[in-house]
Amino acid sequence: MTLSASQPERSYECSEELNMTDLPLRGIRVIDFSWLGAGPYATKILADHGADVIRIESSTRIDRLRILPPFRDGIKGNNRSGYFADRNSNKRGIALNMRHESALDIAKHLIAVGDVVVNNFTPGTMERMGIGYEAARALRPDVIYLEMGTQGANGVDSRRPGYGNTVSSVTGLHHLSGDPDRYPVGTGTNYPDHVVAPAHAAFVVLVALRHRRRTGEGQYIDLSQAETMIGLLGPAILDYTVNGRVQMRRGNLSHGAAPHGVYRCLGDDRWIAIAVRSDTEWIALTDGLGLASLRNDSRYATLSNRHRHQAELDDIIGTSTSQHDAHELASALQERGVPVGVVQTAQDLIEVDRQLRHREHFPVLDHPEMGPSIYNAPPFRLRGVDEPVMRMPAPLLGQHTREVLAGVLGMSEDEIDRLEKEEVLT
Amino acid sequence: MTGPLEGLRILEIAGPFGNYAGKLLADFGADVILVEEPGGGKGRSRPPFIHDEPGVEQSLDFAYFNSSKRGITLQLDTADGQDLFRRMAADADAILDSEPVGVSKSRGLDYPALSAANPALVYTSITPYGADGPHAHFAATDLTLMATGGLLWRGGYLDGSPVRAGGNQGNLAASQFAAVGTMLALLDAESSGQGDWVDVSAQECVVMAHENAIQFYDLEGTVRGRGGEEQRQAGIGIYPCSDGDIYLLANGLGPFWSELVSWLDAEHVEGVDLLRDPKWQVTEFAESSEGKAGFSKIFGTFSLSRTKAELYEGAKQYGIPLCPVNTPADLVESPHLADREYFVDFKHKELDAGALMPGAPFHTSSMSWQIHRSAPTVGQHNAEVFAELGLESHDIVGLAAGAVI
Repeated sequence: MTLSASQPERSYECSEELNMTDLPLRGIRVIDFSWLGAGPYATKILADHGADVIRIESSTRIDRLRILPPFRDGIKGNNRSGYFADRNSNKRGIALNMRHESALDIAKHLIAVGDVVVNNFTPGTMERMGIGYEAARALRPDVIYLEMGTQGANGVDSRRPGYGNTVSSVTGLHHLSGDPDRYPVGTGTNYPDHVVAPAHAAFVVLVALRHRRRTGEGQYIDLSQAETMIGLLGPAILDYTVNGRVQMRRGNLSHGAAPHGVYRCLGDDRWIAIAVRSDTEWIALTDGLGLASLRNDSRYATLSNRHRHQAELDDIIGTSTSQHDAHELASALQERGVPVGVVQTAQDLIEVDRQLRHREHFPVLDHPEMGPSIYNAPPFRLRGVDEPVMRMPAPLLGQHTREVLAGVLGMSEDEIDRLEKEEVLT
Repeated sequence: MTGPLEGLRILEIAGPFGNYAGKLLADFGADVILVEEPGGGKGRSRPPFIHDEPGVEQSLDFAYFNSSKRGITLQLDTADGQDLFRRMAADADAILDSEPVGVSKSRGLDYPALSAANPALVYTSITPYGADGPHAHFAATDLTLMATGGLLWRGGYLDGSPVRAGGNQGNLAASQFAAVGTMLALLDAESSGQGDWVDVSAQECVVMAHENAIQFYDLEGTVRGRGGEEQRQAGIGIYPCSDGDIYLLANGLGPFWSELVSWLDAEHVEGVDLLRDPKWQVTEFAESSEGKAGFSKIFGTFSLSRTKAELYEGAKQYGIPLCPVNTPADLVESPHLADREYFVDFKHKELDAGALMPGAPFHTSSMSWQIHRSAPTVGQHNAEVFAELGLESHDIVGLAAGAVI
């Protein structure tokens, strides 16, 4: 196969529904080989802020999130998973069966017109396909090439398979989460996949874009998902290297607050989180709970006393909170200035939380197969950007193949038809 | 070479949400000036402390999250303090503000006030619930944000209360996204000359951690509960070993189950033949109490007879996702992290010898990342920073006498 365009065109043609004049990453194109959790959530941040993120996918090596639940109406299908959809807002998607030589050619031409290339495969996978960093740099000298291995691109454990929860375990997050006298419980989710690795990845790409603007230089970035997580646990590492202490998980206890915990409320499995950092907040809490008799009890008069007697305090407070509806109690205590919060379920977040509704954190995008569905908006607002950030639902598998091949690479309809017949575009 | 963010000056008003964002920027070469109240900010009272002795220069938490920054003290509730801050902001590229909603406005130091004199300024406000809305003024801590953001609901044991993740992950989620938002706005401001107000909600940052729970409710009407089982299904979960625990993920994905069986076979584990039955890879059976107990009996007996390191090494040969539940000590001693030269020197004036701490969270081929300096002592750079602002030394003495700095 040959491409008709001798020089791939550099200009980006927006689809008509896209009008990205005001978003900060307008004009930046990301060739996105990433899949599963951490990679797509990183490129989502770039796509939501205006980058033209082109996902390279294939039905012959399907992104596993496409076939994991939840599905619209519980019906399975490659284009029905909400797990996949939320990670892929505002991206275009093309299908390329990389077993064909001509598919690899197309990937190379896309890299040549890409500012950023991203993957989170097991290290070495891109090299084996012939599109590792050196190959990419030959195609595009100033490419910003991001690899996101779970434990980085080199080192004795770099080729091990890994997922969000193995990252939680290997980094110490798991060890530090749970009750001290029970097994480590973690976050109940693949935590590093969703905040830590994606935010660090987006940050370092943005820094690399500034560096390229100033020096003309591209970048090879080896991001270890594990190292981004360990970087957040620096104080626990220093407690060991300076003080020789191996920190243990502490349940919900806190050094800086007491009482500090999660207390049962009315209803099935309903809870309120309460944190009392000062004597003022303590008095406000006792007032709010109708426990005025505790106010003058010297056992609880200072933070250190409350720490000492936290177990009995937890019993007293829990007995009181269990008489209240969690949301009503949270409002009442917030009015008195106590830092409290309902332990909210996903249902609460979507249906009850007035703040998230006010902030429009959960926009609804109309997906061609899933219909109107909820996505996460970015958790911050660029207040000077008028343009709607959440513009386009996740791509169907191969939805934009023709559009990208014609619009970005300048291929003719005939050529695309031929590739389709040869089953390159699957 | 000082780093890819050389030339950027960032004022960080000390607070729980901004620290790590400031560190990310400073370690990459931005001139981040930490602005604390006279006497030092609250962050200095966070444990752990050097040799367990509390003191304004003893907090390891503070020292870690404020590396590479310069530090000044400034009383922002006085007119003189506000005036000085305004003068610094006129020349700054970005501000990281994690004061509660309304504080910067009451000081005349909010985005509209400061951007009038410096239109290219990026102003990042990091607040518990964002700058507007019915809960904008709610008091919050890491625990309550983990609660209202919903991640707390997912953590904990099935038979107990929700349990918070270790290490202030709610505050840190806000800090990480604040760094992203700040960089986005800075990229734009440097080319267009127009700055922006980046309005970060810590609650929303925690909400991002939900994996698929939001969509489970939206699409299938199910509320995902706590995920804290010791063993989620046969072959997935926490298994005790002779010196701690490991996490195994050998079912439901890829070829891992058959590789696991090959490994256990080679180790002559009793009962391994039972695991060859295809029923183990049927989710319904793997999740049943019979399946979990049966697997635990076979694998758990084996794992209890081995150390974390032995199991990790064995799994490597078979390509199975199995990881030790590492402690901080395990990390410091990890051959892999040593291979990658991950840890860097931590220096502190209260310590005779150096120690190790986490280094760059990403390796970059042509951008220099380094710890440019230790975290500042209280007011360490007052003279230097105020002199850069054009103040004479007698002015600085006067400000100190007036408790402005």
